[in-house]
Amino acid sequence: VEHKIEVDLNVYSLDALKRSLYRFSDRLSSFIQVDSGVAICTLTFGSTASPEFISVVLDNFRKELLDQDLRDRVRKETEAVRNLILSHALSKTGLIGDESI
Amino acid sequence: MSRFKEIGDFAAESEGQYRLLPFRFSALNDRDEYVLSNAAGEFVVLHRVQLQNLVDKTLPTDGELFQELQAKHFVDSTGGNLSVDLLALKLRTRLHRLADFTGLHMIVVTLRCDHSCPYCQVSRQTEDRAHYDMSVELADKTLDFIFRSPSPAIKIEFQGGESLLNFEVIRHIVLEAKRRNQTYKRNLGFVAATNLSVATDEMLEFFSAEGVDVSTSLDGPRDIHNKNRPRPGKNSYEKAIAGIHRAREFVGKDRVSALMTTTEASLGRVKDIIDEYVRQGFHGIFLRKLSPYGFAVKTDAIGAYTIDEWIDFYKDGVDYIIELNRNGVRIQEFFASVILKKMLTSEDTGFVDLMSPAGIGIKALIYNYDGSVYASDEARMLAEMGDHTFRLGNVATDSYETIMLSPALLDPIDQSITVSAPMCDECAFEPYCGADPVFHHGIYGDFVGRKPESSFCTRNMATFRYLIEKMRSDPFAKGLFYQWANR
Repeated sequence: VEHKIEVDLNVYSLDALKRSLYRFSDRLSSFIQVDSGVAICTLTFGSTASPEFISVVLDNFRKELLDQDLRDRVRKETEAVRNLILSHALSKTGLIGDESI
Repeated sequence: MSRFKEIGDFAAESEGQYRLLPFRFSALNDRDEYVLSNAAGEFVVLHRVQLQNLVDKTLPTDGELFQELQAKHFVDSTGGNLSVDLLALKLRTRLHRLADFTGLHMIVVTLRCDHSCPYCQVSRQTEDRAHYDMSVELADKTLDFIFRSPSPAIKIEFQGGESLLNFEVIRHIVLEAKRRNQTYKRNLGFVAATNLSVATDEMLEFFSAEGVDVSTSLDGPRDIHNKNRPRPGKNSYEKAIAGIHRAREFVGKDRVSALMTTTEASLGRVKDIIDEYVRQGFHGIFLRKLSPYGFAVKTDAIGAYTIDEWIDFYKDGVDYIIELNRNGVRIQEFFASVILKKMLTSEDTGFVDLMSPAGIGIKALIYNYDGSVYASDEARMLAEMGDHTFRLGNVATDSYETIMLSPALLDPIDQSITVSAPMCDECAFEPYCGADPVFHHGIYGDFVGRKPESSFCTRNMATFRYLIEKMRSDPFAKGLFYQWANR
């Protein structure tokens, strides 16, 4: 069963879209084509998928897209701090011979 | 001059006067509630609206929620680096045991066994095949290898087959390890994993004298245990119970533990199984899923139940354990305890399956009866099925450096680390979960696996969500879980 959805890449990033689709990879396979800032996603469900099942999956997919968009924002806003935390946490471990602890 | 700044100095001046600190979030339930966690393992639960407000910087900064978010380092309104420094310190604390390196060393002293369990994870050999025993020479070379580990604590666990069928090598290893440890001065411990059916007084006296703990199998009441663990005489349960009582007399009650394995026969019987543990005086039980290795695959025992059935079994079990505790019966569930320690404390038990970087090799190693070294117990089980992906070398022919720097060990650890695995990298439960490259290789053919299809992911996510929901809905359970986490 094939289903097409269009996602405006001015609203959602391609990364957020891909991450969302990945999460549903146990329920559908997907193919993305980009045309004039719009991602056209061809979603293929198993032959036994009922209309109700597809409807629920699509609803959840839309919610997931919103979540991924939010994650995108948090990730970008906190990237520098995250790198700082990791560099502090993993520095001077003593694992390298001449490094002081 | 005041020693401390006024509390107002730590508060945001107005809405929007805060910055986000790194966090991940995942849906907790279908009521639009989300779990947020950070690298230090702190977590909070927010409604989707609150989450959106938090990111939009419109969350009121004068309420308890904001205080909690600030205290747990999800936001910072002070403008300083204190939150960053504390987060780094907490993360470092969580990871500090990695530097200890391999602490658990499992030695398969024999593959022989007197049982013929259809789910056996070790593809046992029949009892009369003496060439499946480890030799004293190989045992010595294994000890050479073990003491190369820099870990300040070394635990040697004897496994089988039925380990006691090669008791002489167990005795040799214990005495020789203790002799060597007079030089190495490690915190040295021993555990014998045994079904106890062939345990003699001489063996148990030795365990008592030398401080060897006993870990045995108890799958539940008589009918389940005997069905799961057939042996000549059809008396596995009777022998196990008698063995447990005798072992306790010799080594002490608290030094005898038991493990159960969930089979199809266990489903729907979790209360009976827990009751059996209570009846036998155990204060803990590990509700363990059948591992998809060894005879479990050959006999299709692994296909006997689905992951969803196991999750229901597990939740029913923990629900029942909570009720028992509410009624004054002290018993804990160990898988939950491992997770709760990660969730509620800064400690980590080092449970190999729930570590990232994966615990294979760097937390635990297994030495087969023939000297082969494997990255984990499960890696050895895969090898018994003909898959030698995680065979790292042999203590008789390979150096410590060759084995520990082997691509067979470093590649799966490197590739499966969860902070960079698809879907794990954005999962709020990542600090409590782990990479299990052996499982994912065995089932899905690569070290990472696609998480939406991974039963490892399904099981763990369901367990994390269940434990968090339980703490939110049941104050008694929350108190109990804090006790388990801090034991």
